[in-house]
Order: sequence, then C-alpha cells, then structure tokens
Amino acid sequence: MKNFAIAVVVSLLLGTGAAAQDTADADDIVARANLAAYYSGDDGRSEVRMIISDAQGRQQRRQFTVLRRDISDGGDQQFLVVFSQPSDVRGTTFLVDKHIDSDDDRWLYLPGLDLVKRISAGDKRTSFVGAHYYYEDVSGRHPGDDVHELVETGDQHYVLRHVPKDPGSVEFASYVTWIDKTTWLPMKIEYSNASSEVYRRVEVLEVQDFQGHPTVVTSRVSDVQGGGQTDMQFRYIQYDLGLPAELFSERSLRNPPRQWLERAAD
Amino acid sequence: MKSPPLLLFLLSSLPAISFGQEDLWSDDDWGEEDQASRWSGFIEAGLGTRFGNDPLIAGRSTLEEIRWRLESEWRPGHYAIGFKGDAAYDRVENRWTGDLRDLTIAFTAGKSTDVNLGRQVQTWGTGDLVFLNDLFPKDFVSFFAGRDDEYLKAAGNAVRVTLYAPAVNVDFSWTPVFEPDNYLTGERFSFFSPLAGGNVAPSPPLSAIEPSKSLSNGEFALRLFRTVESREYAIYAYRGFFKQPNALTETLQATFAPMNSLGASLRQPAGPGLLNAEISYYDSRDDRNGSDPRIPNDQFRFLTGYEWEAKANFTVGLQYFLEWTLDHDALIDNSPYPQYEADEFRHLLTNRLTWRTGRDKFTWSLFSFFSPSDHDFYLRPVFAYRRDDQWSVTAGANLFDGKDEHTFFGQLQDASNAYIRIRYHY
Repeated sequence: MKNFAIAVVVSLLLGTGAAAQDTADADDIVARANLAAYYSGDDGRSEVRMIISDAQGRQQRRQFTVLRRDISDGGDQQFLVVFSQPSDVRGTTFLVDKHIDSDDDRWLYLPGLDLVKRISAGDKRTSFVGAHYYYEDVSGRHPGDDVHELVETGDQHYVLRHVPKDPGSVEFASYVTWIDKTTWLPMKIEYSNASSEVYRRVEVLEVQDFQGHPTVVTSRVSDVQGGGQTDMQFRYIQYDLGLPAELFSERSLRNPPRQWLERAAD
Repeated sequence: MKSPPLLLFLLSSLPAISFGQEDLWSDDDWGEEDQASRWSGFIEAGLGTRFGNDPLIAGRSTLEEIRWRLESEWRPGHYAIGFKGDAAYDRVENRWTGDLRDLTIAFTAGKSTDVNLGRQVQTWGTGDLVFLNDLFPKDFVSFFAGRDDEYLKAAGNAVRVTLYAPAVNVDFSWTPVFEPDNYLTGERFSFFSPLAGGNVAPSPPLSAIEPSKSLSNGEFALRLFRTVESREYAIYAYRGFFKQPNALTETLQATFAPMNSLGASLRQPAGPGLLNAEISYYDSRDDRNGSDPRIPNDQFRFLTGYEWEAKANFTVGLQYFLEWTLDHDALIDNSPYPQYEADEFRHLLTNRLTWRTGRDKFTWSLFSFFSPSDHDFYLRPVFAYRRDDQWSVTAGANLFDGKDEHTFFGQLQDASNAYIRIRYHY
C-alpha cells in the first residue's frame, strides 16, 4: 500500500501515467503540464535540430545540444545550449538561469568576439536563432504569467485557455492548449491575436518514452497567417545524468563541457 | 550542405500529416559525434568608398577586398586545438594579408582551471563599443572601414588561465610581447598630428616605436569575477602600455607609454533592462604628475549604460562615458600645443538601436557616438540581411564629423564612407 502511494506521488511529479481526474482544476493541470514538458527527471540532455522554412519554402537549419538542470520541480532551472550548426553560429552558446519569482537571467557567448553578452529580460517572445520558436519556448513560459481556464475535458485532452496577466508584454491576446490526459504533455497550442484569429500554432508530432518520461521528439511551430514553419526534432535524450550546478556558468559559455555534451554510448 | 531541391521535393511530395521526422530529415544525418575536425568558414567580398575626397589620400576606396576564412577544431585526448585564419587580398593597400585569429591549444588543468595558449581574441568588460578595462588589442581601422564587427577585436599571442572557484573566479592573461591596437597609420585614413597642426597621411605610413621585447614589457591582465544572484561583479588590473601610440619618444617619434590600470564593473538587471557600470583608473607610469607633454596623463574613466527591449525585436542601448584627464593644469602648462590637448573632461554619449525583422533575417541598426565636449560624432548605420545559412549581405556607413580636426572623431571627417559586403558561408 505504501509502495503504491509512493508510485502515485512519483508518477504525478514526473507527469507520467497517473489516471487523470476530470475534476482537476485549470491551475493544477497547467502545473502538471509544465512539469511534464519541462521538468522530466532532475536534469536532462537532448540534441536538437531545426528546419526553419519561410513562406517561400526556403530552408535554414540549426543544430544544438541542450543541457538542463532543475533546482526544484516546477521551480528554478538552468539551461545551457551549445550550437554546432550552421557554421556561422557554431560555438555560440546560450545560458539561461530561469527564475520563478523574478526575470530569467540569460547570456549569449559569441566566440568570434570572445564576448559574453547578456540579454535583457524583456527580450523573450522573439525569434530564437531565426526560428519560429521563441526564446521563451526554449525554457518555458512561467505558469504564473497567465490566467488559466479549463474550457473542455475531452476523452484524450484537457483543453485550456490562457490569458496573459500583462497583455502589454506579449504579442498574443490568448492561447489555447490541448493537454494529453495520460502524459500531461501539451500536444497543441494555438495563439490568437486581439481579433481572435489564430496566427501561431505549436504541435507535437511524436512522443517517445525515455527512462519512463514521455518526451516530445518531433514538434512544429507554424506561422499560420504569414506562412512558414519550424520543424524541431529531439534525439539522444537522457535524463538524470547528475549534471553539476557549476556547469551552468560563464565557464561553460566560453568552454562548453564536452564531457556532458558527448552522446552516451548506446 | 544538402541540396535544397531534394528537400523541396520531399516537402511538396509528402502529405503534411506524414511529416515524420525521418522523412523530413531523411537526407541528413545528425553528424559525427565529434563535429570537430570539419572545416568551415566563409568567402567575403567587400567594397567601400569615401563620400568625399581626402586630399591626403589617393583614391576614394576605403574597402576593397576578397577575404577567405578557414576554421576548424581538433580534440586529441583532453586537448582542444583551435584554428581560425583569414587570407585576404586588399586592394586599398594593394597587398595580400593574412590574419591568424585563432591558433590555440586549450586544456583543463586539475578540475577547475582552464588554460588557453596561443593566438586568440580576448574580451572582457561591460561596455558596448566603449572600452575601459578591456585592454586587449583592437583594430579600429577595420572597424572604421566597415569590416564585420568581429574584426574590431584583434588577435594577440597570449597565455590565458582561468580558475573557477566558488568564492571568486580568477582570469589571468599574459601577453609576452606587447600587442598594440591597429591604429590609424595614414594608409587608409588620415589622422590628426599636433606637430603638423592638421591631418597627415605619412609615407611610409606611421609605424610607432613599440616597447622592446623583454619579459618585463609583457602585458599582464587580471580579472576577478563573480555572479551573485543575477549581479555580475568584476575587478580588473592591468600592467602594460597604452594601446594607442599617444606618446612621443625623445626624438618625437610616436610610441606607447607604460601604463597600469585598476578597475571594477557591475552588470545587473534593472527594471525591464540591463544596467551596467564600470570604472577604471589609468596610471601613466612615466608621467604621474602630468608634466611631461610627450606622455599621456593619468586618467579616470567611468561608464554607465542601460539596455532594454523597448518593443518586440527593437532594442535600445544608452551609454554615458567619461574620460577625466588628471593633472590637466600641468598638461596644459607644459604642452607645446595646449589648443590640441584633450579637455579635462571628455564626455561621450552612445546610443544603439537594433531592430530585427523577418525572424532575424533582417537587422537594422544604428550605433551613434556623440561627444558634447569634443563637439564631434560618429554614426554607424548597418543593415544586415541573412538570406539563408549560406548567403548574407551587409551594407552600412561610417559617418564622422566634428567642429575641430583634433578630436577623435573630428579627425576622421574626410573618412566618412559607405560599404557593402557579401558573404558565402561554407
């Protein structure tokens, strides 16, 4: 009995498997979805590549490795992003200290100038390295920044609508999220403008299980009105590597930690 | 890289719903584990011209070159060997030039000390195109001619050792042979000479006397730094020389005066943006009382800046910079050319506006320097278009003007130019 209770608690924390309760309230669902999407394990590693397609069909590529460490589940986190492609951004690194009760701290290292550039806090709903993804999509939007409302409870998804508390700080008027009732992963997000037209869509195209954590391995962001999209693929995913806190520092910006960036032998 | 037609074919021939990752990326792999030993770089053509004539310099061309960049990295064992070099044919100076920007061997000593030996670009400090405690070599000629911003920082031969510790990180850089800035020589741009009482473009170009290559003439730079709850603190020290040839030998040849400096900086979030402040004291070792007119005086430098995103994709940066020349009375009393000496307080304001559109494909920026005390300015509008991962185009201008010829930007009023660069990355 005790073991069963622990299993339930663990699976709730990890966002896996727990039978969803249809009576769950919106904030609770968002909290679980946030954990499922951004807090799997105590830390994680993934290689990411993006194909950025503009409305004319022209394509660009990006490839990078992300290391993440949670300070607490649902709380502060650290991210390190190290680019390997294309050639003009290779060696560029990006460090985020994500804070729940204050603005995130973000630094970019530009190897050509040996420059550690700090990025101001406001600058987050803008393109991440030319993609349709935003800086904020990399580390996650704070659940406390929006007011959440459960709109519909379907067989597979909770459908929630989110309205920003500070409309001046974002480009959307609201967004709607489809959250998988089994995995708690947000499977689709549609952003609407002031005229209630959907102009941006994030979709999860494939989920796989890694070390017991359902994990997005393919996703897409579409510019619904202007055309164009960014496809994103995640590979070589590992959780609970035991990443040390010191990894997320100026040292790693200048000198990326090869030990943790290398792929594990399969 | 992969052939775009194949990708386009794939994209158009597959129904949207079946865009499995394998289909979309089927013509690519994730690359070798060690992406290191691959060669990359770019080829760039640049063309720039003066708006008017500089009566001292033949030809209007300020940039006319083809540049080839090659870079790679190898990781034998626990070492990393980096290489980054340019070869260029420069028609303004009518010669082939090489610029070795990086040739280093890097390794970690013990657990928490990183060592980087060799030719490298180094940067620290909080200023945006304004430097106080960053006394690593700079290339103002490239900057004024419209080469990529990267070239403002020149490479130097150095030993860099960084010790990371919980209490404070220690960053030490030793440059055994003094590396001056790439200063104005009169080859591409003329410059003001107090002796001549106006601009000059000597032939052969100015070649300042450099300190002898003794161990004691090496440059030592130290930075102690730490980040505490979003605040970045740093303390700096330097022993070496002024980086510009702003001193004269006894035979009145341009040279570099010995200098020590001590400084500190702070950078932190404030309101919607970032606030930075930096101070530095320049100790002119050979002219501490300021009475030797051949040698620059001690100086106190102060900088504060604020940068924020005023609206999405539009960033504004403001800086105030002060150069306070100490013992100014002694300087004026002893100077043969008091009318050309710097004011006791040189104030400089800068403004950076950056507007990115089309998901960063287009970057419109304007950097302005304006000195209310020197009555001069320097405007740097730049438009950059990144067409794709291969092609990019940058066009811009460097506009200088001033009331007097002897101020920093005033001397460059005949150097105002516009340029365009086209780059292909491989």
